[in-house]
Amino acid sequence: MRISITVNGDPVAQPVDPSDTLLSVLRERLHLIGTKWGCLTGDCGACTVIVDDRSVVSCLQTVGQIDGADITTIEGIAGRGRMMNDLQEAFVTHGAAQCGFCTPGMVVAAEQLLRDGVEPNGAAIREGLAGNLCRCTGYSKIIDAVLSVALARME
Amino acid sequence: MTSYYRPGSASEAVAILAANPGAMVIAGGTDLVIDRRLGRADPRAPLVDVTGINELRGVRWDGDELHLGATATISAIESDPAVIVRTSALAEAARVLGSVQIRNMATLGGNLCTASPAAEMVPPLMVHDAVAAIRGPAGERRQAVADVVTGPRTTILASGEILTNVRLRAPALSGSCYLRQTVRWAMDLAGVGVAAWVLTDGTGREAAVQEARVALGAVAPTAVLVPGLESLLAGAPPTTERLGAVSAAASAACEPISDTRGTAEHRRHVAGVLAARALSIAHARAAGLWSGGLAPVNGRASAVTSSGERA
Amino acid sequence: MRSDYAVVGKRIPKLDAPDKVTGRTVYADDLKLSGLLTAAIKRSPHPHARILSVDVSAAEALPGVYAVIHAGNVTQRPFGFGHDNTPLKDRVVRCVGDEVAAVAAVDAATAQRALDLISVDYELLPAVDDPFEALQPGAPRIHDELDIEGNVSMEWNFQTGDLAEAERRSAVIVSGSYSSPQAAPAPIETHVVIAGFDADGALEVISPVHMVFMYRKELADCLGLDWRRITVRQPPVGGSFGGKIDIDAHDFIAVMLARAARRPVKLAMSREEEFTGTRTRQPIHFQLRTGAAADGTLLFRHAEVVSDNGAYNAWGSHALLVAMNTVTSMYRVGTSRLNAKVVYTNKNYGGSVRGFGNPQATFAVEQQMEELADALGMDPMDLRLKNANRPGDVTPQGLEITSCGLSECLETVRRKSSWDQRRGRMRRQHRGLGAAAYVHVGGGARIYGSDGCGAMTKIDDSGRVALISGSSELGQGSETALAMIVAETLGVPLEAVSVSHDDTDVKPWDVGVHASRTTFVAGNAARMAAAKARDELLKGAAEVLDRPARSLTIRDGVISVPGEPTATLRYEKAVRRRLLREGSSIIMTSAFYDPPTQRQDENYVGNISASYGFGAHVVEVEVDPDTGMVRVLGLWAAHDVGRAINPMSCEGQIEGGAVMGVGLALSEELPVEDGRFPAPNLHDYGMPTAMDAPPIDVTLIETADELGPFGAKGIGEGGIILPPAAIANAVADAVGVRPRSYPIRPWKLRRWIETGERSHVDKRPQLVRDVNAR
Ligand SMILES: Cc1cc2nc3c(=O)[nH]c(=O)nc-3n(C[C@H](O)[C@H](O)[C@H](O)COP(=O)(O)OP(=O)(O)OC[C@H]3O[C@@H](n4cnc5c(N)ncnc54)[C@H](O)[C@@H]3O)c2cc1C
Ligand code: FES
Ligand code: FES
Repeated sequence: MRISITVNGDPVAQPVDPSDTLLSVLRERLHLIGTKWGCLTGDCGACTVIVDDRSVVSCLQTVGQIDGADITTIEGIAGRGRMMNDLQEAFVTHGAAQCGFCTPGMVVAAEQLLRDGVEPNGAAIREGLAGNLCRCTGYSKIIDAVLSVALARME
Repeated sequence: MTSYYRPGSASEAVAILAANPGAMVIAGGTDLVIDRRLGRADPRAPLVDVTGINELRGVRWDGDELHLGATATISAIESDPAVIVRTSALAEAARVLGSVQIRNMATLGGNLCTASPAAEMVPPLMVHDAVAAIRGPAGERRQAVADVVTGPRTTILASGEILTNVRLRAPALSGSCYLRQTVRWAMDLAGVGVAAWVLTDGTGREAAVQEARVALGAVAPTAVLVPGLESLLAGAPPTTERLGAVSAAASAACEPISDTRGTAEHRRHVAGVLAARALSIAHARAAGLWSGGLAPVNGRASAVTSSGERA
Repeated sequence: MRSDYAVVGKRIPKLDAPDKVTGRTVYADDLKLSGLLTAAIKRSPHPHARILSVDVSAAEALPGVYAVIHAGNVTQRPFGFGHDNTPLKDRVVRCVGDEVAAVAAVDAATAQRALDLISVDYELLPAVDDPFEALQPGAPRIHDELDIEGNVSMEWNFQTGDLAEAERRSAVIVSGSYSSPQAAPAPIETHVVIAGFDADGALEVISPVHMVFMYRKELADCLGLDWRRITVRQPPVGGSFGGKIDIDAHDFIAVMLARAARRPVKLAMSREEEFTGTRTRQPIHFQLRTGAAADGTLLFRHAEVVSDNGAYNAWGSHALLVAMNTVTSMYRVGTSRLNAKVVYTNKNYGGSVRGFGNPQATFAVEQQMEELADALGMDPMDLRLKNANRPGDVTPQGLEITSCGLSECLETVRRKSSWDQRRGRMRRQHRGLGAAAYVHVGGGARIYGSDGCGAMTKIDDSGRVALISGSSELGQGSETALAMIVAETLGVPLEAVSVSHDDTDVKPWDVGVHASRTTFVAGNAARMAAAKARDELLKGAAEVLDRPARSLTIRDGVISVPGEPTATLRYEKAVRRRLLREGSSIIMTSAFYDPPTQRQDENYVGNISASYGFGAHVVEVEVDPDTGMVRVLGLWAAHDVGRAINPMSCEGQIEGGAVMGVGLALSEELPVEDGRFPAPNLHDYGMPTAMDAPPIDVTLIETADELGPFGAKGIGEGGIILPPAAIANAVADAVGVRPRSYPIRPWKLRRWIETGERSHVDKRPQLVRDVNAR
């Protein structure tokens, strides 16, 4: 099967096995290695990407289902011509990344959460990010970073 | 390369399944993709992707009837304003299933057909007396959700059949609640999951129970309805004493095992505890006494954090 | 204390953060090499079995397979403490996950198919997964090739003072058992190792290991390689927590496969393999007794300990070293005794996971402090403060306490949590407060001939300052801290400093990243090398400015003469002046720092660390007594960090450690059934999510350690040590029962509530009255 998808704004047409996961297509075919994996069981969230305005775990997303979809990965979160967006900058300044392995998935999940208008409080952000495990930070600085952007974007 | 089909209608899906013995239905894939990788499902089996079928989609209200398409995502159920108010148990179960990402992918039909003893959506559907529509080569049949799951990982669906939708009614003066016990506060399967539904004869604290149902998840090979509740509850408000009897009945209805999510003894006990809590919340909702939105996951008014997170 | 630093003490974002938040950082599994093969390991499905035969012929015949190895077709020597392990097992498998054979193939699917084609015949042997059963006469012998009794692989015995006399003098003695589970470091990145030989036979290994020089030596020793021809490169690491610290069977296997296939191979562990086939945190069982006089003076501590080692001796067998420090040296306890047996069992074996025996020991010691306080009718904080270690103390094991902010830490969390107003008063809401405090090495830990680390600095013509450090960055932020130390010492802007530390061909020797030692030891080395570079800079500038070097200062890259505003020179100019002339020279310096410490003697006495870290936590919990669910509502942490080189990183270490500790306390466990982990996945393991983690209030207490770089001490492990003990104490405050083991999963807590699990207190009213009468 051939799928046509848009990844970070670029049209991609690839012959694929439709039962392949989006994760393997991103990492192995498109060499977009910013998306990580930590479990392949949907539990860690390291592989989170956005498919048509919804965050999903790409390790469980078969590509057969997303023909025509618009996909955003960590490489495309900031948008064209920008190195980082406000959320990524907040992760840097708040010290929200340590080993950084959860970070791409965390940033992508948090970005979609913000776009969905998460309530700007710690509890709501924690609930929204419960699918992204971080073993390094204890989450405090991640929550602070996301909260600061949630408040800033409201203004 | 795996054969992969993406039918546009239920009848097409049924035809493809008939023509490809061994083919498997895939919806959100949150169970099936893992099962295939770990060899619990045949990784070479042809896949029939039902997410492209319009008639299987969506969360729709028709008066007091709720129509849930088989491929309605858990997040669509969780966020439907009327589901939250009128069939709160469904929203409460949906809210705790997996993570945002999992809920965006996972479907109601998948949760039912995967037939896990701990499947979150099944007890709420059972207490709401939901009816599943099943489409096969011989046409459509309807079956109470309570009868769909027959054992761990087995359902009454014959090979070649698909689940198309689930329907239920949410009459006035009814309310429901779903609570669970887990080890972690998120991303965990239920050690015990309990749904309760109550129909009252009016509003207010003294509103009497007309009908009540309690269903238990993760405490037996399939979710179970607690028998004999009418005689315990009907005709009066759920007093502490009556709730105690509900607890006992719920504990008695369990046939739990001991595993990494709890000992059998504990599950039996907690099923009773949560049954009483869920029932009293369901009653409060039916009787118009509840204004708190969704209940805390274990039904206990939980505290706010205290070491100073900025709100 | 000095506070006019230009860089030190500032909240500096990690230097590697921009790449990490944009997905640019390249981890081991992200690397692509031409000709790279995929490796996979055939593991034992049995906890204990004799290998009768291994047939690899079908696997070898599969197209796309480049190498199939097993003990019968490779040369390997034993490795591990006591040399009780081999990379590929040849006679006996001793735990599920034991490596029996391995393949290298063109892709993962082919490698998997080849594994399936390998047939291994086993004769099942009786297995034992409980250390107490393993100690029984007649228990299955796990290492019948070793001359040991009762499966005891090691003993640790320490005694000081007259125990019988101390008991006689005690007004109150508390006793009890305290157990911990098999847990896992579980970094989000699993183990990935890449190995390949060049055409000339030199080996390059790309591995996240962080005792890299020992790793190189062990590779050479076990596989008969020339270790001068081994290069180890360390890619950015996606978390370790001790899990990736040292060499493991799979590292040797990757190299043997590369040797057999004559192609580079990559071995990437699945999550399931990560749990079954890499090192865990060993369960330790304590029988502890603590005695005190009626006024709260601690009189003795006595621990009988069994450590559940698993099938082989990896670093985990040495966790008792740290556990012993806690038993003998946490608070002033004159008399103490510890007898520990490290026992082989047919299970995955223990490594050196963050905290290294201390969470387990502190769970026992710090619960008993609160039990003792309650029995004496004292406030537990008062009891702790009364017995707190103080600067100048030398503990019975010879630990020389220099800087010590323990009392300040205790007072801080006491105040911030409103302990005095709230502890013991929230039982009606089933809420409680619990505390715990720790001592842990904070200035290296001499467990090896040298505890040193080397550093080199060079300043080039652009003014770029390169620090080449022996240490490694695991995400903890040491790279940034080291750069800050160099910038501060040299007086140059932080942007000018780069750090390299990922290549054994380039970097100077270091023991490795462990024991919270990097900021202290590598930091001192960096500071020393930078100080030499500064001397060189000023020497050059002195010529240009025509002033004596010692009259010059440098700040923010500007060299100046105090009081002479016009006599200034940018530092990079000073470098160029030296370079661009006849008789030119470059600035390049090196230093090696080995802390002034001792290896412990045969009686376990010796000052193993140049300073000790202290800290205290208070945790607030809410218990649902009917379901046994526990929610952590808040956590107050105060840690004596000596000096916070980078406060943001210190907080990050403490917060991250604390949440790992919350996981240990409440949810994390690899339950074993018949020697197997029935659910080796992240769903069942119980790692805390953002909803399980409490908001954390961190206070950094600065005591300016005399030997630490700018006064800093180690902090990497402190956070994880306390939550199991503090949460158990908080649960006891909330519902009045004593947790005997962690994780405090709901059904366990409910059982304790039902059986009314209480403290075991032996009160001697006579002695209590005597003291009160005085
Ligand atoms: C990280 C994680 C967390 C999870 N947490 C929870 C949780 O808390 N509670 C819980 O209950 N579950 C949980 N799950 C399990 C899973 O997400 C749910 O069971 C989900 O609802 C399955 O839906 P799906 O659409 O993804 O199913 P799929 O994986 O697509 O299918 C599951 C099974 O159902 C069959 N099937 C699907 N649709 C149909 C249909 N229309 N007709 C016939 N057969 C069909 C498939 O053939 C397959 O056998 C979790 C899963 C993950 C990965
Ligand atoms: S790799 Fe996809 S959720 Fe962990
Ligand atoms: S930063 Fe390491 S896992 Fe999150």
